[in-house]
Order: sequence, then structure tokens, then C-alpha cells
Amino acid sequence: MSATETAYRNRKSEKAIRVWTVVILLFIYLPMVAVFIASFSKLRFFMFPVKAWSLDWYASVFNSIEIRDYLGTSLLIAGVVTVVSVVLAIAGALAFARYEWKGRSLYQKLILLPIFFPQAVLGLAILLWSSALDLSPGWQLAVFAHLVWIIPIVTLVISIQVYGFDPSVEEAAYDLGASRWQVFTEVTLPILWPGIFSGALFAFLLSWGNFPLSTFTTGAEQTVPVWLYAKMVAGYSPQVPALGSLTTLLAGLVLFGGYWLGRRKAKK
Amino acid sequence: MNMPSKSYSVTDSSPERLPENRGSALNIRVRNTLLWFRQPGALLSLPALLIFVAGFIGPLGLVVIYSLMPERSFAFNQLPTLENFVTIFQEGYYISYAWSVWLALVSTLILIVICWPVAYGLSRIFRRSMILTLLLVLPLFVSENVRLFGWVLTLLNHGILDGTTRTLFGWELPDMLYNAPVTVLGMVYVYLPFMLFPMSLGISMVPDACREAAFDMGATRWQVFKEVELPLAMPGIMIGCLLSFVLVLGSISEAKILGGQSIIMISHDIETAFTYAQNWPLGSALSTLLILLTAVLVIGLLSRLNLDNLLSRK
Amino acid sequence: MTESILELQNVEKYFGDFVAVERINLEVKKGEFFTIVGPSGSGKTTMIRMLVGMDKPSRGDILMSGERVNDVPANRRPTCMVFQSLALFPHKTVGENIEFPLKLRGETKNNRKTRAIQLLEQLHLTEAYYAKKVSECSGGEKQRVALARALAFDPEILFFDEPLSALDYRLRKTLEKELKDIQRQTGKTFVYITHSLEEAMVMSDRISIMRDGRIVQIGTPDEIYNKPANSFVAQFMGEVNQFNVTRQDDARFLDTDTQDTYVGPPDADLQSGVLIVRPERIQILAEGEAADTEIAGTVQNQYVLGSRVQYEVKVTKRSLLVETMIGDAWNVGESVRLGWNSDQAFLLAR
Repeated sequence: MSATETAYRNRKSEKAIRVWTVVILLFIYLPMVAVFIASFSKLRFFMFPVKAWSLDWYASVFNSIEIRDYLGTSLLIAGVVTVVSVVLAIAGALAFARYEWKGRSLYQKLILLPIFFPQAVLGLAILLWSSALDLSPGWQLAVFAHLVWIIPIVTLVISIQVYGFDPSVEEAAYDLGASRWQVFTEVTLPILWPGIFSGALFAFLLSWGNFPLSTFTTGAEQTVPVWLYAKMVAGYSPQVPALGSLTTLLAGLVLFGGYWLGRRKAKK
Repeated sequence: MNMPSKSYSVTDSSPERLPENRGSALNIRVRNTLLWFRQPGALLSLPALLIFVAGFIGPLGLVVIYSLMPERSFAFNQLPTLENFVTIFQEGYYISYAWSVWLALVSTLILIVICWPVAYGLSRIFRRSMILTLLLVLPLFVSENVRLFGWVLTLLNHGILDGTTRTLFGWELPDMLYNAPVTVLGMVYVYLPFMLFPMSLGISMVPDACREAAFDMGATRWQVFKEVELPLAMPGIMIGCLLSFVLVLGSISEAKILGGQSIIMISHDIETAFTYAQNWPLGSALSTLLILLTAVLVIGLLSRLNLDNLLSRK
Repeated sequence: MTESILELQNVEKYFGDFVAVERINLEVKKGEFFTIVGPSGSGKTTMIRMLVGMDKPSRGDILMSGERVNDVPANRRPTCMVFQSLALFPHKTVGENIEFPLKLRGETKNNRKTRAIQLLEQLHLTEAYYAKKVSECSGGEKQRVALARALAFDPEILFFDEPLSALDYRLRKTLEKELKDIQRQTGKTFVYITHSLEEAMVMSDRISIMRDGRIVQIGTPDEIYNKPANSFVAQFMGEVNQFNVTRQDDARFLDTDTQDTYVGPPDADLQSGVLIVRPERIQILAEGEAADTEIAGTVQNQYVLGSRVQYEVKVTKRSLLVETMIGDAWNVGESVRLGWNSDQAFLLAR
């Protein structure tokens, strides 16, 4: 940072921004912490302060075969979505940011439209579409619905990496005798790797936590968020905070673990 | 050089000057199409475009077609009619529209104000703090149901807040759940990242040198904000506003979980029409109006943006 | 040494309706250091991209050692380019960068390493650089790594696309000389592209000057300097004094702008054109000295250019640039007499 910049910086407003950021973080995490606390409360109905603690609800979550199925479906959907969306988004991002072609500017905007559309309505529209095409809802339809929304996001994430990429590096490899495939595996892919990695993390986690698309497309093969919602509106069950905390923890673990892995690889 | 400055493909992709027009117009069109497909960028865009057409244009197009079908029909090959749109106005569905638009406006305004300092800090003060970014991203990956449920636990009678004030001060807080303000709270809460990150991207586009130059010429903090930072960060802010507005407009869980049906959002009407009422054409007509409103806003903004500048940070 | 290794026959390149390169004919000899010079937009980048095989010419032929290579893609041509951005692979170490072409050929790990270290040495880099990251190298070091990588490919022709343009002046001067040395040592053909004629003069055996997609002149540095083909070439070397003239009689030319008369160059056979006199060819005449053409003026400005000084001298209706060695001191405002002999001026077509 330059000396002039420091001189112009206003200490007071900087402090205010720091305080405000902490306030926002508290705002974001307060309800998540509330879920966490509730998951350890022994009572069937939540009361604060908690008088009796217990791990019973976690035990009941772990012992429920039903919940294990939902977890399995959620993981299956998130896994397939991650692989497919990353592969398509690598191509999509190269088209987005690497090559100059006729139609690129229109493509850049079209591909982003699903992000700017309410997911619940999109989920319903896809359900309608599938019934018109005589396809029944299920995990495959949910994967498809997730892809519609997640591919644009992953494309954006990888594109940011592609923008920082000097195309002459590919040409240099080609000029030094590499075949097109060698250029891709030896140069393009390794350089884009950080972007691809974050894209994959995003794809997995967004699919994992998605409710509005899943609720209309999974049919009988429910995911965890869909099940949680059903339980929530049907009346309070302490399994909800327990499973909610578990999914939150898993998302946090994947996110921070992924970040840690990515940093370790970059340092090497 | 006077050539496309960005990047060249490894093959020769530049459309060559074609030999003088020989053959029919159709031939030329076919040849131009083939040339288009020879561009590597065009080829690479196809898989993603395919999903876009099959999963976005197709379904939404079908919804628009269904909206013109007679009430309660499940086929889309009947004579088109506008009766569903008439129903919308006669039966007071516009009230849910008004609520949705109003809440979307209020939430967006609140989000602008509360996100600006954090977005500013994120791109200027905490520049290298990946941890902070991750903490702010994490909520995106937790189902909104769980997080809204957390608010229920927090605001409930004998919940986290009420329970705390009772034990500490003996105060009993009034009922806080199931009304319009708490619905807005839920919306602001869920869509915060959608405002925060585009806004921060916008602010990171303001070059330090411009800011310093303005200070150097005697601008006050407020003037720097108004004359330099705000206009330069505008594309990011606009994207943030559009995202939050559109997503709140079509939101459903906040009003159900926190609002306790005290407010009916348009998506709720749409869902009811499709599911309980089994009136697909009405649901489609309600969706069509939402699609139109969203399309006008989104296309209006996106057509003005240069995404290359915004994303490459050059 | 006179065998031609690269030949261009009527090469043209269009982008849509834009003509980037037009009717190029040239021949590069084996072992030659050949430089293509031109301002930005002159088509030199398009040229090198076709020579390397990244683009195909729209018309005409490119021959390498007598064989037509128009349709041979870059990865199958025995040539290699050092890019303007250097295009080092950021995810590979210095050693891995240099070994890349060898790895593609399936060389064993040991052979690759031996060769890489040999090349590092040849380019005055120690063995310690082998394991370094590219991002840890300075500008000059990266330059050397890029050259080493290209040499590892062992091309018949090595192309350079202004690789030195981003470096500071002193480092550039050092590397220009090193590059020339390496070319002599290896005996390879170098084809170099730059916008700086000064840079071209230092290194090249022959120079080709481009303007608006065409070649304006090809010649040795000496020919370019002393017999520029037109006023564009003459100006390209640096600032010159130009006079629009028509012939008055055998030896005298009339300045159409100021009506002054000048003694012309002896072998000029043009009726009218641009008379060019380089600033270093004009003398400030001392008392009693005489020259073919003499003009009186006043010193208006003085700029020190290292070992030389440039004066801007106001004469009747214009100002002239004069350069002398540092040490001759003329003050601003002083009246001086300028003069040059007729063989110091060229008459060129407009």
C-alpha cells in the first residue's frame, strides 16, 4: 500500500466499518447459533435459557434410516451436479472469457439469466415442463434443475480465472510442439485449476443447500432441505435443529477444508 | 494492432474474406453458419447453451403457453384465451403482486444501506481477508429454511432474545414473529450475500489512483464518495440491486416461515395454483406476469453492462 | 551462408475487409539476424503470427528451406517464438519451463535436466534457478528463461515478438548485446520484430521496415541509415529536419514553404521532394567557417541528451534541430549560423 493512501485514509470511518462488519457477522450467525443451541436442548419444545442438555436428537438423527436416505439423495445430487456443471462450465467459461467470437456478448448475458430469476418459480416451471415431456420427478430431474441454476454460477467463477490468463501461454506451448490436447492438459487446465476448484466447491455446496428447486423437482426422492422444510411446517421437531446443525457444519467443513486444501496446493 | 485485441485461437478462426458472391443467398447463409461453428468459442458455448435452452427457455416458454389455456386444463393444445389474466385482476391476485413488489423494494433499499460499509470494507480495508469472505459466503450454502428457522428460534416467545431479556432483566418482549416487518427481516437476511458480493465487486473497480487524485484536488470524503466511488461502482451496485429485487420478488420461504402467512407473496399464489388448486393455467398466468416483470428489469440492466470490464478487473 | 531459409512470396492477410499485410516478398538467409521494424499497426505482428504458424496467410506462400509451409500448424513447424509477454508457464518452475519442449519429445528426465542446466549456464543463470518459480524471477531473468526454453526446442528459426519492450533502458541494452552474442554462438537464424529502429540497428544483419502492411525498405543497418528509401524511413530513425523543395537549377533547391534556397545533394535526380538533413549533420558554424548551405538563426531551446546536446534553432519561418557533442555551449537567445554540406542531405520522394 502506498504511503499517500495511508495518509488519506480516515481512521475513524475505518473503525466504524470494522464495527459494522462485526455487527453484520453477528446478524448472519445469530440464527445459525440459535439452531445449534436448540439441537442440544433436551426438551421437546425449545425454551431459552436451556435447562437440560442432551444429545438425544443427534442420536435419533443418526439412527433414522429415513434421514440416511435423504442424506444419500442430497449427496448423490450434489455430486452429480458438481461433476457435470464443472465440465460444462470449463467449456462455458472459455467461451465466456477466453475466445473472441461472434455472438459472445449475447452469450455472456443469456447464460446469466437463470441467476436472475426466482428459483421457486423456475422449479415449478421445470416441473411443468417435465410433466409435458412425460418425465417423472426424481433425483435426475432435481440434478437437471440444479444444473440450470448452478452452471451459470460456476461459469462465472471459472471465467474470473480465465480473464487473468494470458492466452499467449497456450500459443507458446503449441508453438513448442504440443498437440492441442497437450496444450489443454499441460497448460490450460493447471492454470485454471484454482478457479475450477472454487467452482466445484460452489457447485457442491449450492446444490447441497438448495431448497426451492429441489422441493418441486425431487418428487418422492426428497433431499435434506426439503425434508427439513416439511418437518418445520408440520410442527416443531427437535430433529430439525439437529439435522440443520449437521448440514451447516458439513457445509462449513467443506468450505473451509476446501479453502485450506487450495492454499496448501498453491504454496507448494 | 487493429485486430480483436483479446485473444486468438490456436487455429485460424478469423472469418476470412470470402470469395466474391457466387451461388444463392441460401448457400451463403449455410456457409456463414458453418463458419460460425468453426469458432472455438462458439463450439465451447454449446453445452451450456443447450442446458440453458432445455432448462430455462423451454420451461418458461411452456409456462407462457399454458397461461393462455382455459382454466383448469392440463393440456396445452387448446384454443388460446386470456381468461386467466382476467381472473387475476378480478380475484384480487394483484394484492400479492403489490405486496411482493413493495417488500422487494423495501428489502433492496435496506440491503443497499447495510451492505455498503461491509462491501466497502471487503474490497478496501480487509482486502486479503479470505476468512472474512468465507464467513460471509457460508450462509449461501446453508438451506434458507434452516437459517430462517434459526430466526424463529431466536424471536420466539421464550426464544433466544425473549429468554435472555427475561432472565437478565425480567422483561417480557412482545410477540415478534408472524408480521410484515419480520418477513422483511428474513428477506434481508437471506438475500444479503446477493447484494454484498456484486457491490463489493463494483467497489473494487474504483482505482485507488482516482480516489487519491480526487483527495489530492481537495475533495472531501463525501465528495469522493459521490463523484468518484459511487459512479464507478455503479455497475456492481446495480447488479446487486437487481439480484436482490428479483429474488425477493419471487421468494416464498420467508413469508411462510417467518411471516406465518400474514403476507401472501406472489410465489405462494403460484405454488397454490399449481399444487393444491390444480389450476395450471392460472398458475402459469401468474408466473407469466412475474416472468415479464423480471425480464424487463434484467434485460434492461444486462444490455447496458460490459461484463468483460466488470469481471476482468482490468 | 547465402542459402535462403525463409521466403515469403506475395503474402497477404485480411481480417474481414481490413488488409493487415499486403504483397510481402522477402527472403531471410540461413544464420542471419533479420529484423522487421514498424510502428504499431504496421502489420508486423500479423507477419510474425503467420511466420510462426498461428495464422494462415490469405494469399501467397511461405517457404521454409524451399518448402511451402502455409498449412503446417505451429506445433509442427521447426520454428519457435519468444513472445512479447514471454508466455512463461506460471504453474511450472524455471526448469520445467525450459524442459517443456524436451518433455513433449519424450526425452528422459536426466537428459532434460542436463540440457536445461546447460542452457541456463549459456544464458548466465546459475543452476539455482532450475528449481525456482517463474514468479520469483526478475524481468531480465524471465527474458533469459524464455530464450532458454526456445533454444531447448532447437528451432531452425527463432522468432522474437518485441520481447524486450517492457524492460528498462539499461537492461534492454545489455540483453540486446547478449542476444546478438547468442545468435553468433549458435549460428541460428533469428527473426526479430520491434517498433524500435534503434534496437534493430544494434543487433541486425538486415532490417526490413514496414508501414501500413507493406515493406518499405529492406537493407543493412548502414543502408537504412545512410540511404533511407523515403522520408518515412528517414524519420523512423529519429527526429530529422525536413524541407519540402522543388528543383530550381542543377544544384539548388527552393523551399516551397519559406522560399529559402538550399544546395542540394549531388546525385539527386528528382525534380521535387523532401530534403532531409539529420540534426547531427547540421553544424553550428564558428567565425570564418563555411558550408554549402548556410542559414542564420537564434537558439530557442536546449535539451541535453546524455553525451549530445540538441538545440532548437529558430530560422526565418521555422525551427531546425541541431545536435552537437556536449561541451560546445550555446546559450538560449544567442544568434548562430547553421550550415551543412550538400552531401549531408538526402532528397527523397514525397
